[in-house]
Amino acid sequence: MRLLAACAALLAWTAGSAVSVSVYRSPFPPPSDIHVSAEGAAGDILALAFGARRLFADVWFIRLMQYYGTPEAGPGGTPGDSFAWLLPKTGGGAAEEAAEAAINNGAGRYPDFFPLAMHILQLDPSFTGAALYGAASLAFNMNRPGEAEALLRYGLRYHPHDWKSLKLLTAIGYSRSRDPSAVAASIAPLLKDPDCPVMLKQLAAFLDKKAGNYAEAAALYADILTTSRDPSYASNARKELALLAARGITPR
Amino acid sequence: MRRSFSTVVSVALNSFSENVRNKFFAVFAVFAFAAVYASVLAGVMAVDQEARVLTDFGLTLIELIALAYALFNASSVLLREAETKTIYLVFSRPVPRWAYLAGKLAGSLLTSAVMLALMGAMHLLLLRLRGFPPPVDYAWALAGSLLKLSVITSLAFFVSLFSTSAVSTLVISGVIWTAGHFAIETRFLAEHSPGVKGGLLKAAIWLIPNFQLFNVRDSGGTLPLAAFATAALWTVGAGLAALALLWRKEF
Repeated sequence: MRLLAACAALLAWTAGSAVSVSVYRSPFPPPSDIHVSAEGAAGDILALAFGARRLFADVWFIRLMQYYGTPEAGPGGTPGDSFAWLLPKTGGGAAEEAAEAAINNGAGRYPDFFPLAMHILQLDPSFTGAALYGAASLAFNMNRPGEAEALLRYGLRYHPHDWKSLKLLTAIGYSRSRDPSAVAASIAPLLKDPDCPVMLKQLAAFLDKKAGNYAEAAALYADILTTSRDPSYASNARKELALLAARGITPR
Repeated sequence: MRRSFSTVVSVALNSFSENVRNKFFAVFAVFAFAAVYASVLAGVMAVDQEARVLTDFGLTLIELIALAYALFNASSVLLREAETKTIYLVFSRPVPRWAYLAGKLAGSLLTSAVMLALMGAMHLLLLRLRGFPPPVDYAWALAGSLLKLSVITSLAFFVSLFSTSAVSTLVISGVIWTAGHFAIETRFLAEHSPGVKGGLLKAAIWLIPNFQLFNVRDSGGTLPLAAFATAALWTVGAGLAALALLWRKEF
């Protein structure tokens, strides 16, 4: 009886393993893709050991935002450099407008931004919010479209039909050719999505304002004010709405 | 057969009521405190990703707390009943050993299911209070956690029957839990390792349960039917192995 139970146990276990081996396909990147500095390695091991890649991707995302939200100690990029894609191809006096786009502290060099953002996607390639935030910051705030495209393309390897990443990829392409109105048109479908980073909404509002679409800009600022939990973006939106209201423009 | 089934149900209900009386509600207090604390932190730090962070943190915490309780219970219940001689009392009656073991396992799983459901409800309430809708596939994530718990609890019963103490059962089960989440990495290494090393790793893929198969909390989506079948086969397999050991014991 004991032998029978042991044989049945072995059979059941093997059958379970056979089903598991045949059906399981990992949705995550292979371990060879995960690159992290030594101080982050322990956290990554925990992430894998407890099957908590999503949670640790969240932790890395918080670290990324803290890093990006901290003013750089050394010489950073100037707003004019960072927002060069907004300047007309043929030159002109748009430097002030470009500087205006460097709302809060979006401009700068932030050399670790790309590896940090990439690491989030290596842990959880389905974290679309992080991909959009990282790529938009790199492309539009720091003038590093190559890295932004690399980030989005990495996410698209695992989710090739993610329309949000594809739209942003198109917008980055237009920013390379210094075509702000095409950038605005490309990111427009993203703006209503819950995954849309608030900085993209702010960028869209700025582009609308620049193109003379004040009512659309006011609508976007009102949306930022009601939906964003980031106090700096909310306060900027409030300020912009007050300025627009002073000119008799209210959200559409 | 019907009599044996009613014995299983009686043992399961008795086991469940014992679990509920054994610091059961302290666990929920720990969860509630940690979840509220995390929600305050997440609100400050995660900004526009607060809903995602709160969801991920809550689901992970729910699973780990339920795991700790399930392992503690599974590793100590048979030893405790042997030490207190309760098991002699049970086996002096017409209770088959398989029915006793199945009842104990069912009681543990019922406790885990109730814990997951209660903590899940508390978590959803917290999300609601923070102004977020219930996450998509939330129920699937909890179901995946329950499948993991069912396999590891059954394994812990098996380990507890040959290990010398509850602590060693806890450690061995913890190692299996961890190794089970490294299934992707083990498979990757097996594919890239030649010779004996590769062979050993391939054997490990068959021996160690792949908990990533049930890890909807991490990968999103729904559980395939094969995941339920696999969990059932592994739970029954470990349960039968435990039964083979229980039959060897002299009570």
